[in-house]
Amino acid sequence: MLLALFHILIFPGMLFLGAYALVFSFIDRKLYARLQNRRGPRWYQPLADFLKLLGKETIIPEHADKRVFVFLPVMALAAVTAAYLYIPIWSSTSLYPFEGDLIVLLYLLTLPTLCFFLAGWYSTSVYATIGAVRALTQLFSYEVPLFMALLAPALLADSWSLSGMTAYYSTHPLYLLINIPAFLVAVIACQGKLERVPFDLPEAETELAGGTFVEYSGRLYAIFRMAIDCELVVVASLISAVFLPFYPAGAWAGFGVYILKTLVILFILALLRSIMARVRIEQMVAFCWKYLTPLALIQIIANLLLKGVLA
Amino acid sequence: MAKNILERAVDWGRRKSPWIIHFNAGACNGCDIEVVDALTPRYDLERFGILQQGTPRHSDVLVCTGAVTLQTRDRLKQIYEQMPEPKFVVAVGTCACTGGIFDGCYCVSGGIDSVIPVDAYVPGCAARPEAIIDAVVKLLSALEAAQKAEPSEQ
Ligand code: SF4
Repeated sequence: MLLALFHILIFPGMLFLGAYALVFSFIDRKLYARLQNRRGPRWYQPLADFLKLLGKETIIPEHADKRVFVFLPVMALAAVTAAYLYIPIWSSTSLYPFEGDLIVLLYLLTLPTLCFFLAGWYSTSVYATIGAVRALTQLFSYEVPLFMALLAPALLADSWSLSGMTAYYSTHPLYLLINIPAFLVAVIACQGKLERVPFDLPEAETELAGGTFVEYSGRLYAIFRMAIDCELVVVASLISAVFLPFYPAGAWAGFGVYILKTLVILFILALLRSIMARVRIEQMVAFCWKYLTPLALIQIIANLLLKGVLA
Repeated sequence: MAKNILERAVDWGRRKSPWIIHFNAGACNGCDIEVVDALTPRYDLERFGILQQGTPRHSDVLVCTGAVTLQTRDRLKQIYEQMPEPKFVVAVGTCACTGGIFDGCYCVSGGIDSVIPVDAYVPGCAARPEAIIDAVVKLLSALEAAQKAEPSEQ
């Protein structure tokens, strides 16, 4: 009981995830700045932003549903934190592994997007509503290729759990190379999940003035930002757990490798963010359905065939 | 009573992360270009933690340019009231400070401070990006002094 509480609240739950999310968001912003030839923010910038938002006045719009409005950011953060508990960090098994945790993880990661949509919807502001509708449209486009790309390696490994996949790929490390197309699809599609350039349409500062979060201020916005930062960590960890399942012996070495892997994924994500511009919503939908989904489908078929050949 | 550690942490956050929103109250666009210029990679305002936000709900500093025309008067007031406390206003350009060459015009109500309280004035036609950055940094150090002087909320 106590141990479970420790896992939820301190490590690897809220406290560690929150701290790592702040570090992550700093590295992301710094890389972004360096790639634009700027100096970039100072190392404590995300922490300062977070504290400042906590200390600001929280305004709830007159026509918004007060309870839902307050509940949604907390819900988004809770879903992300819960998802983190199922990701292996220092060894090849997560804290609470079970057959099918990969699927549960993917569903838990869908919840924040739904929260963003409802947040926009319940804010009763025009900008927020457009942002909300875009968030949902986007959800239906990137979610399919993302799920298929993450499930393809699982198909080959014949296991729906992260630890089962790790066990399979550590005995057949060369098969990881087959999953490279799925890796590319996952990295691109998760930009949509994380609402980052080129798929940051729901927020689109320059056209929607902040999109779904337009009416959020102060503490509630701080929680939302925290949820987004944590989501970045969780998605990067998930991609690294699926496509780079290397765990050396020993907790400390495993932890170090975990940090290294997630940082590599973050670098790729930051690179994508800084070399691209925002696309329009119909371009985004077309791109996801015309290119990403078929690529993921081919990967799945290839993996199934390969499994038949190997069996 | 001295401030407790939480209040001091929030004060520190306020000084280190001023997010701005830019509003054109009737400028000739000269000053707006300079504000946008200050946000480009060349001047890199993110060094001071400054980010541009699209909505008044997220911002701490309202950067205003131009003399206030009768058309934008109510909108300026509205935007100011939409910002959550604590909030600050920087008037950029001679027009924003006093009304400038438009002062006394039939459709102009004067500088920004004729409508909402202003914390920092940046004169110049148009104000240079360096002057704008200098104003924001000075505003932050004035804020630090004020935070040190004010008593704890409890
Ligand atoms: S100060 Fe000069 S540049 Fe700025 S708005 Fe006024 S006239 Fe234009």
